[in-house]
Amino acid sequence: MTKYIIRRLLQSIPLLLIVSFIIFILLQASGDPLATLGGRTPPRAEDKERLRQALGLNDPVLVQYVYWLIGNDWAAIDVTGDGQPDPLEMRHPREIRYGVLRGDFGASLVTRQPAMQMIAEKIPNTLLLMVTAEIVIITVSLGLGMYSALRRYTVMDNVLTGLSFIVYSMPIFWLALMLMYTFAVRLSWFPTVGMFDPAVGRTPAQVAWHMVLPVSTIAMISVAAYSRYIRSEMIEVINSDYIRTARAKGLSERRVISVHALKNVSLLLVTLIGLDIPFFFAGAVVTETIFAWPGTGQLFIISLGRSDFPVLMGLLMLISVAVVVFQILTDITYTWLDPRIRYT
Amino acid sequence: MRAKRFTILLLSLILIIGAVAPVMAQSKIATIIYTQELDNLNPMYTNMWFAGITVDFYLSPAWNFDGDLNPNPVLVTEIPSGDNGGINEDGTVITLTLRDDIVWSDGAPITSADFLFTYEMIMSPDNLPNSRYPYDAVVTGVEAPDERTVVVSFDAPFAPWITTIFTFVLPEHVLRPVFEAERTLDNAAWNRGPTVGSGPFTWVEWESGSHLLFTRNENYFNSLALLDGIFIRFVPDDAAQVAALINGDGDLGTFISYSDLAQLEAAGVEYELVASGYNEAWFFNINPETAHPAMLDVNVRRALQLAFDRWKITETLLLGGTYPAASYWEGTIYANPDVSAPPYDPEEAARLLDEAGWVLNEATGVREKDGVALELRYLTPPRAVRMDTQEVVRQDFAELGIRIVTENPSFDVFWNSLPNGGPIAAGQFDLAQWSQTSSFPDPNTSVFLCAEIPTEDSPEGGNWTGYCNPEVDALFQLQAQTVDFDERVAIIHQISALMAEDAVWTGVWYDPDVWAVSGRMVGVELNGATPYWNANMWDIE
Repeated sequence: MTKYIIRRLLQSIPLLLIVSFIIFILLQASGDPLATLGGRTPPRAEDKERLRQALGLNDPVLVQYVYWLIGNDWAAIDVTGDGQPDPLEMRHPREIRYGVLRGDFGASLVTRQPAMQMIAEKIPNTLLLMVTAEIVIITVSLGLGMYSALRRYTVMDNVLTGLSFIVYSMPIFWLALMLMYTFAVRLSWFPTVGMFDPAVGRTPAQVAWHMVLPVSTIAMISVAAYSRYIRSEMIEVINSDYIRTARAKGLSERRVISVHALKNVSLLLVTLIGLDIPFFFAGAVVTETIFAWPGTGQLFIISLGRSDFPVLMGLLMLISVAVVVFQILTDITYTWLDPRIRYT
Repeated sequence: MRAKRFTILLLSLILIIGAVAPVMAQSKIATIIYTQELDNLNPMYTNMWFAGITVDFYLSPAWNFDGDLNPNPVLVTEIPSGDNGGINEDGTVITLTLRDDIVWSDGAPITSADFLFTYEMIMSPDNLPNSRYPYDAVVTGVEAPDERTVVVSFDAPFAPWITTIFTFVLPEHVLRPVFEAERTLDNAAWNRGPTVGSGPFTWVEWESGSHLLFTRNENYFNSLALLDGIFIRFVPDDAAQVAALINGDGDLGTFISYSDLAQLEAAGVEYELVASGYNEAWFFNINPETAHPAMLDVNVRRALQLAFDRWKITETLLLGGTYPAASYWEGTIYANPDVSAPPYDPEEAARLLDEAGWVLNEATGVREKDGVALELRYLTPPRAVRMDTQEVVRQDFAELGIRIVTENPSFDVFWNSLPNGGPIAAGQFDLAQWSQTSSFPDPNTSVFLCAEIPTEDSPEGGNWTGYCNPEVDALFQLQAQTVDFDERVAIIHQISALMAEDAVWTGVWYDPDVWAVSGRMVGVELNGATPYWNANMWDIE
């Protein structure tokens, strides 16, 4: 097992390098960070040229990638313009980069803050939203999926199936806006946007209150899908021989379902959660944007709009690393849940 | 048993909801909704419009503009003029006399040294400000002969000084030590947390992606703010902004679409159309190196203006909230009353096109000349009302045998530079639509100057239409150096008339800023240049 994990981790190094290179090239082609600098009209020609030079955006893309990866403190750069490379101490601190391999993801082209700091500030908010949503998703979909499986082809099962398809086919932005207009604007049950009411302050109760609609939005579509997966998995499991054996041994139906059937269904859940967790860090792009939830999803959209490459690269690489790590963890969990599974 | 469990569950839920429900507090905090988050609170490091208007909350300028757009002295005793000796005879020296009661929020006096420091920081090669204009272009020096006097010298008379110099002043006593320790202000903590300021409010916190909070500046040298604080909430989605305003989760918001106004009004939210100098317009590409041959003919350009029913757009898509703009300076005191928007006249448009040799090919339904079809590339950034406009134009033009190909590159692609293949900078369009303004409320602009046409040697130029009329060019240079107001108005009128004659700019609609203001706000007097100029007088009923 240890060998397997080490092999998987070693395999992930070239994979992440290739991913980073592809993303970097694609982002470079996506837009110009100095196009408007966020203003309503483009900046003056002289200012754009000066900023482009100072931020290293005039360098060839491959050179920019190498500097992003391993920094530029080793490179011979002429800062005085005399045609000769100048020593490091002659460079302005902002021009020296150490590269992601040494933990320097660069500074945001927009806010000038370290990119990783900006991302780290948003992760707690995103995790709060996404983990809460995931708990709701698992709890509700497990309940609905099992209910449907155990009462399949009843009126209730058909109603739940129909509702699942309706909700699953809804675009998330539309669902989010409909929930907002119905429960916040029309009924005034919940607030529309943000994490708290400024007149009250950021209390746990306020945050919980402001989470209701965004969590519901994220959860509804996933519940619609997951409850279907669980239903079909549960039907397969309860028709298997070992469940029949358990029943024949005289175990109560509750014990058969909650102990024997559920453990096998949980393999599917582990797969789904394993796929979900890496994307917790990405946040819910649409939901966070609509409900003005200050998470990484919102940061991604804003950074994309301003072509803020360092922040976008930081976010995308964080997700890539999370995918690799959590896939390995998922594999390990399989072996714990199902002793038949062995990795060599 | 089940009914009992259900009742207990229901009661628990009600209790939980009751416990977390918002409690109305008594503090008077106005909530403003921004659809973009600010990038920096140090005005040196931002070009964002939202950041620019927010500065007035926490930093006082030398002057701002009142509700009628008249200059309003803030840090100075009066607006410099020839009469009060603030502007010398040839207009090359402007003297600012500072008030003797002005202080920073920490009680330290604001002096001419702060003005000098601000100039030094903008010009320092160790700092990387977003713009050094106009200090690097026309200012030859800034001096402080005494604590209360600042003298700014120009290499030539510079008419737009009122909207460009000392729109903010930095606190030297706070930032000088930072600059000396870090060799730059680029990463100063003050840039995101200006703990010491000079506006009616002081900064409290900025939670990235969420909000900005300001509280009343108890040391403010004008009347103390009536509000306890200002809460700026970042809501990137337009529809969510409208919902928040209706729900009372916001007191002010802007960039509201005309189609949402009725809904806001019905909810008791008022709206204001505030002139900001912006006009949505067509920009024709007439650069001979990249233009469609038809666009080089002024009669074809006139025909295009006449072939498009712009009133259909303003009356239907914009619900009568605005009208077609006649000139680049529509809605300002510089608008030429003799220049009017070209009418919708398809017959005259057809005649002009025939006369210009662009004849209808019955087989294709498209006009042609010398084997070239009258097929035009029409670009706009992706905004719903712009894309709808493109479709109206497609129909209007099709009736006259003009075919258009529409494209909607995202903003950062649309405005990409020439070396990066930006479609506008590279002239890969025949007709493009966007909204633009001058240095409002000043009429100066550089986007029609010959020297601003992007070339390989000067790839960042801002004249994307390629328009170069030496007479207009000379007039633009002249107005920028004409300090006398009436003379300057006359020059701008001349420029407007010549540009109308050349048919290079076509106003699609006059584009004021649309603000929504909740019914509980009082004292708000917005303008298009410094909308928060009287924020200290705002109150909540």
